[in-house]
Amino acid sequence: MTAVADAGLDLRQIEQFLYREARYADEHDYDAWEALWTDDALYWVPAGDDAADPRSQVSVIYDNRNRIATRLKQLRTGKRYSQSPPSNLRRVISNVEILGTEGSDTVVGANFVLVESRTRGMEIWAGRVTYKLRVVDGEIRLAYKKVSLVNKDQPLPTLAFLI
Amino acid sequence: MDCVTATVPQAGTDRPDYSALIQPERVHGSLYTDPRIFAEELERIWYRTWVYVGHESEVPQPGDYVRKNIGPQDLVMTRDREGQVHLLVNRCAHRANLVCEDERGNSNSFRCPYHGWTFRNNGELLGYPYHQGYGGRGKLNLGMATVPRVESYRGFVFGSFAEDGPTLTEHLGAAAGEIDRLCRLSPEGEVELNAGWLKHRTRANWKLLAENETDGYHPQFVHGSIFSVTGSPIGALYSEKSTAVTRDLGNGHSENDLRPEFRRHGEPMRWFGTTPDRVPDYVAKMRQAYGDEAEQILVEGAPHVMIFPNLFIAEIQVFVIQPLSVDECVQHSTAVQLKGAPELNRRMISQSIGSVGPAGMLLADDTEMYERNQVGAEQLRPEWLEIRRGMHRERVDERGLRVGTATDETGMRGFWSHYKTLMEDDK
Amino acid sequence: MSDEQDRPGVVVGPSSPEVVGSEFAEVAVSVDHEGNGPRLKLEDLRTGRVRYLDALELETVVWLPDGHLRQLLDPSAHRWREDK
Repeated sequence: MTAVADAGLDLRQIEQFLYREARYADEHDYDAWEALWTDDALYWVPAGDDAADPRSQVSVIYDNRNRIATRLKQLRTGKRYSQSPPSNLRRVISNVEILGTEGSDTVVGANFVLVESRTRGMEIWAGRVTYKLRVVDGEIRLAYKKVSLVNKDQPLPTLAFLI
Repeated sequence: MDCVTATVPQAGTDRPDYSALIQPERVHGSLYTDPRIFAEELERIWYRTWVYVGHESEVPQPGDYVRKNIGPQDLVMTRDREGQVHLLVNRCAHRANLVCEDERGNSNSFRCPYHGWTFRNNGELLGYPYHQGYGGRGKLNLGMATVPRVESYRGFVFGSFAEDGPTLTEHLGAAAGEIDRLCRLSPEGEVELNAGWLKHRTRANWKLLAENETDGYHPQFVHGSIFSVTGSPIGALYSEKSTAVTRDLGNGHSENDLRPEFRRHGEPMRWFGTTPDRVPDYVAKMRQAYGDEAEQILVEGAPHVMIFPNLFIAEIQVFVIQPLSVDECVQHSTAVQLKGAPELNRRMISQSIGSVGPAGMLLADDTEMYERNQVGAEQLRPEWLEIRRGMHRERVDERGLRVGTATDETGMRGFWSHYKTLMEDDK
Repeated sequence: MSDEQDRPGVVVGPSSPEVVGSEFAEVAVSVDHEGNGPRLKLEDLRTGRVRYLDALELETVVWLPDGHLRQLLDPSAHRWREDK
């Protein structure tokens, strides 16, 4: 883990962080993944209309820090049957761009393709991810992750792993 | 007597013998796996009986439309200038092209992109381009097809492809009272389903979902993981000690009546996992609207009712089951919104996102079970699925409805009894 | 980066109306978003009468021949008729 200066995250550091986050999710390393988040975290997977207000329209996932914790606790019980046994996952993150800053957060966009294998078959997931990254105590942390699936307007199969 | 072959038992005709497949204590696995039976279900259930399609609040303004469905049938629900709701089959009367491609919009007429035929939003043909090819204007009486019968109960719009048959009121029977119970949780007596829909693809036969909706036996097992980490009191509602009951409401409808448990506690808003001081505006409005009755409404909470064949009201969520083939369906789900209760509505959306849909902390696990159940039902032995739990302790209540305990399979037996009637009906 | 914000282009309520007026008529024009898609809202400020036009209807108006429009402007065509 590389310590970083407060200002000016460079693309290389950002990419390394995104790959690490992806690996923790792929490998169901729930503790390491949870530790990446800031206290004001928001983990959002919209349904249907990307532009809809998530407070007045349902989303696939709209987790604050508290609900991220609940989701992970449920996974850790081993009786979250939709992830027990866990899916075999590998994702590729690409087209990483620094889009700008919001306060002290760096806004990053990327595309991803993810292959999920389960007993009942293989699923391909793909979409656009928007991250907001913040340097806290010399380390990059994740304040916001929005996953906009290419097929978010279509019926989706169960999505019980960390996307 | 278990030495039946794994194929569909026949009664000397080409049609399956539903009396042999559906017995009081058990049902045959082929009911979930045989494509011929699914084809018959489309004809005898989905394209005949009343099926829930949409809610009037989804087309609030004249000219509004939304894409809907009855099983694999693609429908457009519209509201005309006079305010009437129509269900059109999404197929051009000319060359059968899809007329509407967007999920929703506002247009008083629809123009097919293929050759420009234009229809009013009640289906009537307005005109076609280059009319001389048809000998002039107004020469054809070819509208978009409409679902022959459309009726609405308290905003819930149902359609039936049969020209005649029981009325919606007759079909709903005792289940209508459960829709009433949902509506009276609004200080204005109305619910809206305008928070958007989650669509969850499910590789299982639709009946596994319909049966599970009022199965009070599974929650402590399938949902034990989330109950344990959140300390949820829901598990207790479906325990052996629960005073809640399972009721066969007739016509295939069933409910888990949780009121006995909530009455035992006698705490207003317990059903919503909160207390009156945390939703003071709502409670005040309810007391103003319902007077002395308000206390009972606030204690008893929302219904948990499965309305045959596809509408499930799960307290604060609404589910619609859409079958696509013998082993695939889509679950559509949304949060109930109570008119005049903004304090509750936002929380209902948030709770629904946490619970239902593809990533829901409850429904993802139900769906996992549906899909494993489908694979199981495709295995050859022992051929039967049990529905006998609690038969010996069932009673008949003052309304003449069959009642079992919280974990009994009374609801499933009611479902199958009605299913059998429809499948055997030779009309 | 407008496509990366949480709620790009969400329009809440009608756009503020503009008035198209002359000494003969005054009509407030706005785009209404109360329905499932946008509609043009036209309000005759002298009578309060409101008419909504959806996109297909507007396109149809654009294509109305001048002669057809002149017929509609005849005061006895619709609004002032003895037989109404």
